[in-house]
Amino acid sequence: MTEVEGNREKGEGGGLELLRGAEAIGLAALMSGVEAYFGYPITPSSEIMEFMASEQGDPRFPRYRAFVQASSEVEAVNMLMGAGAVGHLAMTATSGPGLSLMAEGISYSVGTELPFLIVDVNRGGPGLGNVEPEQSDYAFVTRSLGHGGSRAIVLAPQGVEEAMEHVNRGFRLAFEYRIPVVILTDAIIVHMRETIRIPAIEEVRPRELEWTARGRIGGARHLLTSMYLEPHEMRSHKEALMNKWRRIETEVRDFECIMCDDADTLLIAYGVAARKARGAVADRRKRGMRLGLFRPVTLNPFPWEELESAAEGREVVVVEMSEGQLYEDVSARLGPLVKSIAVPGGEIVDVEEALA
Amino acid sequence: MEAVRISSIRQGMPTPYCPGCEHGILLKLIARALEELGLAERAVMVGSVGCSSLAYEFLDVDYVQAPHGRAPALMTAIKLLEPNLTVFSVQGDGDAGGIGIGELISAANRGVPITVLMYDNMVFGMTGGQMSPTTPMGMTTTTTPRGRGRGAEGPPVDICDVLSSLEGPAYLRRVIIAPKPIKRGENLSYSFKPVMDSYRAILSAFRAQMKGGFSFVEFMGTCNVNWKMTVDDAKVYTHEVVSKVRPPRLCRDRLGVDT
Repeated sequence: MTEVEGNREKGEGGGLELLRGAEAIGLAALMSGVEAYFGYPITPSSEIMEFMASEQGDPRFPRYRAFVQASSEVEAVNMLMGAGAVGHLAMTATSGPGLSLMAEGISYSVGTELPFLIVDVNRGGPGLGNVEPEQSDYAFVTRSLGHGGSRAIVLAPQGVEEAMEHVNRGFRLAFEYRIPVVILTDAIIVHMRETIRIPAIEEVRPRELEWTARGRIGGARHLLTSMYLEPHEMRSHKEALMNKWRRIETEVRDFECIMCDDADTLLIAYGVAARKARGAVADRRKRGMRLGLFRPVTLNPFPWEELESAAEGREVVVVEMSEGQLYEDVSARLGPLVKSIAVPGGEIVDVEEALA
Repeated sequence: MEAVRISSIRQGMPTPYCPGCEHGILLKLIARALEELGLAERAVMVGSVGCSSLAYEFLDVDYVQAPHGRAPALMTAIKLLEPNLTVFSVQGDGDAGGIGIGELISAANRGVPITVLMYDNMVFGMTGGQMSPTTPMGMTTTTTPRGRGRGAEGPPVDICDVLSSLEGPAYLRRVIIAPKPIKRGENLSYSFKPVMDSYRAILSAFRAQMKGGFSFVEFMGTCNVNWKMTVDDAKVYTHEVVSKVRPPRLCRDRLGVDT
C-alpha cells in the first residue's frame, strides 16, 4: 500500500511527491473511483497490475472491490465490457501484444458503446519485439482499434504527473461519451520515479446510467448490442456513432504549443519524445535559435486544425520513437516538405543530435 | 406444466429457428424458470454468436451481446460488481465449447456464481452446418465431408467432463432436451419427459447460482436441417445414438440443488 498524505482522495491537488509511474497511474485510478481491475501480466505494464492487486481492501478506496487476474487479455477486455455494461469504472493495463488480443473486445465495446479505460504501455514491435519504450502502437490505436471502423479516444501523457491527470480525464470521457479510452504510455513513463505535484483529481461518479443492464425492474428491458442485421439499422447506428465522434473531435481534442509564436522551426512530438523535444527547444532558445514544439495531448481525436495553423509558414520536423508513423500522418496533412526524426527499436530519441 | 402466459417471453415474435429445433423450447423453459424463482426482473442474459444469439429476440430480460464465446468473462465481471443480479448465458457448443472454451474453463474454475446454459446440437448451425467441438465421430458436416475422424479433427470434446475436472463448479449437468419419439405401430408420438428434465436442470442451475455456485447445463438438442435429417429422424438419432456416447448425467451437485 502506498502511503498517501493529506486529502488527495478528496480531489484537491497535493504537494510534491516522488512517485513511480505505475503506482501513480493506479493511485489516480483509485482516487477517480475505479471499481474493478481486470488484467493479464505483460512487461512493461505488470507493475500497474501488481499495484492494483496490493490495493485490494484499502479502506481509503471503498468503491474498489473487484480484481481478477484473467487467463488472457481476451478474457480481461471482456471483463471490462461486463463492467461497462453495468455502469462501473473498470480498467486494465497492457502492452502491444496484449492490446492486439483486446482489439476484438474494443471493437464490440465501441459498437455497443461501453465505457472503460486501457493503459497501453507501448513496447517494441511488431510481434514479440522487445520491452523497450517505442511509440509504435500509434497507428494501431489512432486509426482503427479493432475491426469495422472502431475508434477509441487516445490520450498521450508526457510523464508521471500528466499520466495521473489522464487517468482521471480518461474515466470521465469514457462515461461521458460511452466509449473505451486508451492512455498511450511507454516503459519510461510507467517505470520512472518522478517528483511530481499530485494533480487535482475529481472522483468520477457516473450519472445517467439508465442505459445499463442491471435488470428491467418495473420498466422496459435494456438491450446492449453491436448487432444490427438490417442494413438500414446498421447504417443509422453507424451514423449515430460518427455523429458522436464528431462531437468528440470538437470537444475533446487537446494540445500544447511551446514557444510557437515566433518559431521558424516547429517540432511535433507526443509522449516521452515530446519531453526530449522540449529539452531541445529550451537548449536552442538559449542559443537564440527560434525552435518551437507542438505537442498533441490527444492522439485521437488529433488536433489537426490547431497543428495546421501552428505549422503555417514554418519548417516542420516530426520527432517520434517509431519508424515514422506520426510522420506519415503529418506529411499526409501538411505536405511533402515535413521532415522526420524517427528512432524505432526502443532507443530514446536524441533530438539535439538529430537536429545538429 | 400448465399453459400460462409467460411474461418474460416477448409476445408476437416470429421464430427465426428452423422447424424441429429445440432452441425455442429452451428459451421458453428459461423464461418460465426465471419467473418461477422470481428472478426475471433482476436478470441479465449475456449473449453468444450463432443461433443461440437470437435468444434476446424472445426473452424479455436485460441483455448484453458478447463477442463469440466470451460470455463467461463478461458475466464474471457483472456478477462481481452486481452480485444481486441473476447472470446467465445461452450459448451453443461452438460458442462455449470451441472459441470460448478458455473463457468457460476460467470462469468455471473461479467458481463465480453465474449460469451457463449450452444448447449442444453438435454442429455450427447458423453458419451452415460445419463441424463443432462436439460433433460425433463419423458425422458428416460441411467441413468433415468424409465424416469426423478421417482428417485431423480428433474426437469430440465432452464439455461436461472437461468442467468436471475442475474443483470450481458447483453444478454440472447434461440433459437431452429433444422430445423423445415413441413408435406406436405406424404412428410416431413424443414423450416430453426430456423437456421436463431440462426444466428441472434450469431451475437447479439458477438455484446453484443463488446459493453462490457456478452452474452449467448442456442441453443435447437437434439440428435436423444441418444434419440432413427429417425432424423425426433427428430426434430418434439423438435418443438412440447420441444418448449412448453422451448420456444425460449429473456431473456435479455440490450444493444439493438438483431436483
